[in-house]
Amino acid sequence: MQNPGEGTRPGGSFAVSCERVTFSYPGSAQPALSGVSFALRRGEYVGVVGPNGGGKSTLVRLLNGLLKPESGRVLVSGRDPATEPFEVRKHLGVLFQNPENGLVAPFVEDDVAFGLENLGVPREEMRERVARAVRAVGLQGYERREPHTLSGGEKQRVALAGLLAVEPEILVLDEPTSMLDAAGRREVLKHLGDLRFEKTVLHVTHHLEELLDADRILVLNGGELVADETPERLFSNADFLRENSLLLPVVPRLALELGFPPAKLRTPEELAEAILARTQSGTRSL
Amino acid sequence: MKLELRDVGHVYARGTPFQVEALRGVSLVVEPGEVLAIVGGTGSGKSTLAQHMNLLLVPTSGEVLVDAVDATTLTKSELRRRVGLVFQFPESALFAPTVEEDVAFAPRQLGLDEEEVTERVLESLRALGAEELAARSPFALSGGEKRRVAIAGVLAMGPEVLVLDEPTAGLDPAAREDLLALILGLREAGVSVVLVSHDLDEVAEVADRVCALHEGRVSAVGTAAEVFYADPTRAPATVRVASLLRGASPGIGHPVRFRETLDALRAQQGT
Repeated sequence: MQNPGEGTRPGGSFAVSCERVTFSYPGSAQPALSGVSFALRRGEYVGVVGPNGGGKSTLVRLLNGLLKPESGRVLVSGRDPATEPFEVRKHLGVLFQNPENGLVAPFVEDDVAFGLENLGVPREEMRERVARAVRAVGLQGYERREPHTLSGGEKQRVALAGLLAVEPEILVLDEPTSMLDAAGRREVLKHLGDLRFEKTVLHVTHHLEELLDADRILVLNGGELVADETPERLFSNADFLRENSLLLPVVPRLALELGFPPAKLRTPEELAEAILARTQSGTRSL
Repeated sequence: MKLELRDVGHVYARGTPFQVEALRGVSLVVEPGEVLAIVGGTGSGKSTLAQHMNLLLVPTSGEVLVDAVDATTLTKSELRRRVGLVFQFPESALFAPTVEEDVAFAPRQLGLDEEEVTERVLESLRALGAEELAARSPFALSGGEKRRVAIAGVLAMGPEVLVLDEPTAGLDPAAREDLLALILGLREAGVSVVLVSHDLDEVAEVADRVCALHEGRVSAVGTAAEVFYADPTRAPATVRVASLLRGASPGIGHPVRFRETLDALRAQQGT
């Protein structure tokens, strides 16, 4: 074992670093993660994708100290989450998959304030931070609603507001939009986009379209890190996507099938325009 | 079975300051052997509506009819055997030490003999491609596997209508495609499926008809093409692309599924 105090050396200059991290669940024959190494620079926005059972959720739990690696080392802002979980959680906040499990308070605003209460933030500042976080996720007017009367998507936004209120510098989002409709998803993604450069974000998702603007995308399959690529390069590799159970969103998939570059055409409008431009440039036969 | 909701309204916490009118005058028919999708924004009433289909929630106004009979006159056990409801994140209700016992729990309550229970359990696990999980602990499975086991437990009741509330949330694309294939397979077998989903691209691939909810009211109902082409701003990406090209290519038709749309776009390009 290395001394956690050494975290200010190489790995410590990163927001998050994993060095050859391996983890197995008790009684399971195969490791859930095996020899995973990567690092996040401060202010980076990095996606994590891969099939169910690929190791995504295990990675999230190792980052905030819910699990301890069997071998290898995790550092978050230079600290080891396995030995200093509470210190690490001030710097790294996790939005877990199913929001139902995380809502605890009688009213929405209390729930958003919950994390701040635990940090001992003064009352006035707490009010401001809660109001700001509620605004950021578009839940003004919901402050006095009871969380159990909310829809799944609304609960997800409450959970996100609670995380934002704590203002950690690293955000780990485990499928933050899985329960949202298209409009709710756009809204949450827009806000997450606003956090770029300001926060370091690790965004776990099944929806590749949420990662079009990511700096890099990590692909985890069978517990191994099989790719660390830009969105552009990843999206153009149809065979690799298929092998890893990744599915391009409908518009880039149509684009790829019609012979357009998939990462350039994101919206139906852009694809329709490209199709019109091509047909008008002469090759059309209607 | 024909399931009908007639002028159904639902008010949560009536008479308290927290009163919420979740459904307002919803009338809707689930035809035998169809896939009916319920779509709408968060908070539009989709889950509340789903829970009325087997009277897990009782309407505060209006009625639910099963083959033209008032559903409240049926015993709860009969109604819930005939209309199976799979909640959002159903895996949170898994409880037995093995997958097989978990799936067997509900059919055993029907008073079937052990042989028939075993047969049904294997059949539903097979339908979900989960038979190799039978002896495992449900708690040691991945998210997608748990989801399939939870759905198998409802399928083992042999429902005539299966109501799935956001069944693909959190599943990876491969598991999602398997589940959509299962829905089409059930329809082939004559089971009606009600699919509650916020993912219009997924709805486009399987739905015969679509019911759109907005603030607790039915805002549109009809075939997938009718509903989506009536308002292409709230439609799957396939319909949005085709709608944008209609001005230049009136012959593009009304494709909804991915494959149809790709074919229509290729024809339109003359490739």
